[in-house]
Amino acid sequence: MKYELVAGFETHIELATKTKIFCGCTTEFGGEPNTHCCPVCIGLPGTLPKLNREVVRYAIRAGLAVHGKIADVAKMDRKNYCYPDLAKAYQISQLYAPLIIGGYVELSNGRKIRLHHIHIEEDAGKLIHQHGDTYVDYNRGGVPLIEIVSEPDIRSIDEAKEYVEKLQQVMRYIGISDCKMQEGSMRCDVNISVRPEGSEKFGTRTEIKNMNSITNIAKAMEYEYERQTDLIESGGKVIQETLRYDDATGTTSSMRSKEDAHDYRYFRDPDLVTINVDPQEVEEIKANLPELPADKCRRYIDELLIPEKDAQLLTKYRKISEYFDEACEGVKSAKTVSNFIIGQIFRRTETEADKEIFDVAVSPAQLNELVKLLDSGKIRNNLAKSTLEKMLDSGKGAMEFISESDMGGLDENAMTELCKQAVESNPKAVADYKGGKEKAIKSLVGFVMKNSRGKADAAAAEEKIKEIIG
Amino acid sequence: MVTREDVENIALLSKLFVPEEELDGLTKSMQEIIDFADTINNAQVTDEGFDSISGLSNVFREDEVIESYSSEEILSNAPEQAENHFLVRNRE
Amino acid sequence: MGSISKIHELLTTKQISCTELTKSYLNEIEKSNGELNAYVNVTGEQALATAEKVDKKIAGGEEIGMLEGVPMTLKDNISTKGVETTCCSKILTGYKPIYNASVWDTLNNQNAVMLGKTNMDEFAMGSSCETSYFGGAANPFNINHVAGGSSGGGASAVGANLAAFALGSDTGGSIRQPASFCGIVGLKPTYGAVSRYGLIAYASSLDQIGPITKSVEDASLVFDAISKYDDKDSTSKGYSGNTYSTLNNDIKGMKIGIAREYLEGIRDDVKESILKAAEIYKSLGAEIVYFDLPALKFALPVYYIIACAEASSNLGRYDGIRFGYKTEHYNGTHDMICRTRSEGFGEEVKRRILLGTYVLSAGYYDAYYKKAQNLRGTIVKAFNDAFEKVDVILAPTVPMTAFEKGHAVTDPIETYLTDICTVPVNIAGLPGVSVPCGFNAKGMPIGMQLIGKSFGEAQILNAAYKYQQAANENFKDTDWGVKL
Repeated sequence: MKYELVAGFETHIELATKTKIFCGCTTEFGGEPNTHCCPVCIGLPGTLPKLNREVVRYAIRAGLAVHGKIADVAKMDRKNYCYPDLAKAYQISQLYAPLIIGGYVELSNGRKIRLHHIHIEEDAGKLIHQHGDTYVDYNRGGVPLIEIVSEPDIRSIDEAKEYVEKLQQVMRYIGISDCKMQEGSMRCDVNISVRPEGSEKFGTRTEIKNMNSITNIAKAMEYEYERQTDLIESGGKVIQETLRYDDATGTTSSMRSKEDAHDYRYFRDPDLVTINVDPQEVEEIKANLPELPADKCRRYIDELLIPEKDAQLLTKYRKISEYFDEACEGVKSAKTVSNFIIGQIFRRTETEADKEIFDVAVSPAQLNELVKLLDSGKIRNNLAKSTLEKMLDSGKGAMEFISESDMGGLDENAMTELCKQAVESNPKAVADYKGGKEKAIKSLVGFVMKNSRGKADAAAAEEKIKEIIG
Repeated sequence: MVTREDVENIALLSKLFVPEEELDGLTKSMQEIIDFADTINNAQVTDEGFDSISGLSNVFREDEVIESYSSEEILSNAPEQAENHFLVRNRE
Repeated sequence: MGSISKIHELLTTKQISCTELTKSYLNEIEKSNGELNAYVNVTGEQALATAEKVDKKIAGGEEIGMLEGVPMTLKDNISTKGVETTCCSKILTGYKPIYNASVWDTLNNQNAVMLGKTNMDEFAMGSSCETSYFGGAANPFNINHVAGGSSGGGASAVGANLAAFALGSDTGGSIRQPASFCGIVGLKPTYGAVSRYGLIAYASSLDQIGPITKSVEDASLVFDAISKYDDKDSTSKGYSGNTYSTLNNDIKGMKIGIAREYLEGIRDDVKESILKAAEIYKSLGAEIVYFDLPALKFALPVYYIIACAEASSNLGRYDGIRFGYKTEHYNGTHDMICRTRSEGFGEEVKRRILLGTYVLSAGYYDAYYKKAQNLRGTIVKAFNDAFEKVDVILAPTVPMTAFEKGHAVTDPIETYLTDICTVPVNIAGLPGVSVPCGFNAKGMPIGMQLIGKSFGEAQILNAAYKYQQAANENFKDTDWGVKL
């Protein structure tokens, strides 16, 4: 029997606000242990939280970017569980009235992965286990997070990967997070189950916690899919449980222990007040959202006639698309700009990290100038390409490498003279052309191009030759 | 009905040990308190849409950094510490 | 004249220096605290340092504020930077906060002289002060009786003239009840009037800090000083205006309500005193209006459900990692946390944590916590409706007088019943002041409670002050402590 995979994601994203969610401590990454802390974020008795306004704004941005509905009224709840990295023994989160409801992420196959809701909450501190000792650092404790909870709409590992990539892409675009999985600013919990293909009923799910790379998500899901399928095939039953993925062995194992009783006893946090969302503020946030990657990609394809694959490459990171948009200003063919970026500039930004930063020696304005020289026929394509390489090496503008003599093509007289020479020195080609071989004219044009050292305009030369032959 | 298992479970959630010999007594005492609490279930409640006792909304902080405390101050009450960390030393 | 005004006069007229005054308080504490156990920590050095500052100001001809140089004390659940703050629990022994509670910042900036920290029921959970890790505080009227709770130490100290005033906290009656037992004045302010920042939480939606004083005018002065908006507390509103200027307003025509439910099941001598007070109010021109408040029937279980639920969450952080007590022998982190908590918390605290955990746990949340929240709404509305008809509600503070030591801890439910008259005010977030209104046959004080509408402190203090003037014999001093 064939089994279908069913998965849903809970994705935690750290927000790039300057300060923590409930106190004024910096959210800066790193720093000596316990130096980004105050009485509030280490949960000293008597301290009280105060909500960072920017966290609400960032979460609303995120909600709008994934087509969610912004709630009119949101509230903060306490999620109670005792663990050394959680200073107050409860995490301030949202259960009963989250800030964003619904929404979706659209995949390239056209499927929409629906979102259940997005809520805001605080991050926990960091534990380091060494020789059985536990070291606790609360620098990350209280850093703001959004948790994006999807419906169980994902049906394959490829969809899962694309879902995570799309979320990462859009959240980076709107500037609310750097979404660095390796640094923990984006983490996923995956709920996964299998069911016989064609079945409507969901199988029993397991939850793989705290996945910190897309590769591991794929590997863990693959392992878990096989494990659950084998289990069912052999007459066993999947137990609903929480799992951890071990990168070294490539396997999942149960996290359950006698010590964790899971009952979070959520209740409204009496220390924090109701959030009444101002619709006007939501409108303002909406108006200030940048063009989202999916919209941009569509526009590149439909309006700028960029091939889909290239459009995706150009929109993968916000910096690249902004570079592209600027370099396209007033040019005849955006495709030319795209070709320069993908063909040449990408060779200088090989890693994904480089592409994301997209710190290129040539400014978009400089590329724009080069493309305009090409557009106006002042220089030829080969020259443009080699010039771009020199520009990339030096950071200097196109005009540093193109002399007056390289530009402007041939004047009318020189062109006529060269065309005459071409006709006179190639009688066979002339005869072939006259005899109906249209292609023969190409060798005559080639003569003109060669003898003008590429400065002649090929189309103009062909016209001229045809005129001479009569 | 509060059972021994209920008490064991809530003790685990509360991170409290209840010695075996106290379990029956505590179960009984919990039952009495719960019976007392149960009197509210005789009340005819109309939902008054109670939100919170302060009745406040939209109280925010601006996103401005306030200097953190030094790690010495942060750790000053720690029963155990090492290398600028709070520490739970393995005593096994 | 209240103690604060008297001290202010003595200081400004240079009849006594602040240092001399502070020393005499410290001496009296030294003498009497062994019997009363009001203080759990005396901060003499710090007190004298502040006193010296005040003396310099006076010597330099500077004007001083009303609370400046006034010897006072804080309940041991109000955070004081560098000064041990334990909530009278083993689990917080040795804990020295690294920040000040906002109320203490306010008073400290005004150079109030803190003599020390006062005794309380552990984590403010109790009605007798006897759940304190340091043992209970005694009643200045009879040391074989309890001072009440949870702010028993503060009430004992003020009643015994070992401080001019005390700050306590009131979650279900913890200021008013011990004030009533000790024959003094205790004000529980409107929720949000006084900042909770730095008050070690018992039940966040019920807790309020307030003054415990010898007289109504002292309560008014202290309330006016501490009822400031605080941007560190999201639920803070502060009190606009002041209560002191209207204390002596005529109360002719004031409608004073008596809810019949408050008079049910209380001791006869207490009931008699309340009815006598009503007569006095009539003679002052107020109108007495009897009415029904049936929602009160559910106040006590609602209180215990909400208070314990919040407490179970608030007290999760005592895990032996960041502060306070940590067990010696353990096997792994989970074991360490469980042992620390089991050894560090007393029986009553553990009982309330377990109850709170129970009512929030899966399957019970709707039946208890959610239902209690709905009923809280019903009680809030019932009071709002009542205040459409009356200006102030008169009620007993406690159904009885201070019990003998060791009596309270026998039956938890019976002990909880002593809170029956005080908890409705906390549930509804209203202000309530307890003032002495008589004595029983054994000479133990009886207290009455004046309940106001939200932010109606000026009205209840006005009514209380007029009563104090008319029935001054009920404000009896004890033989203890400093005589001004």
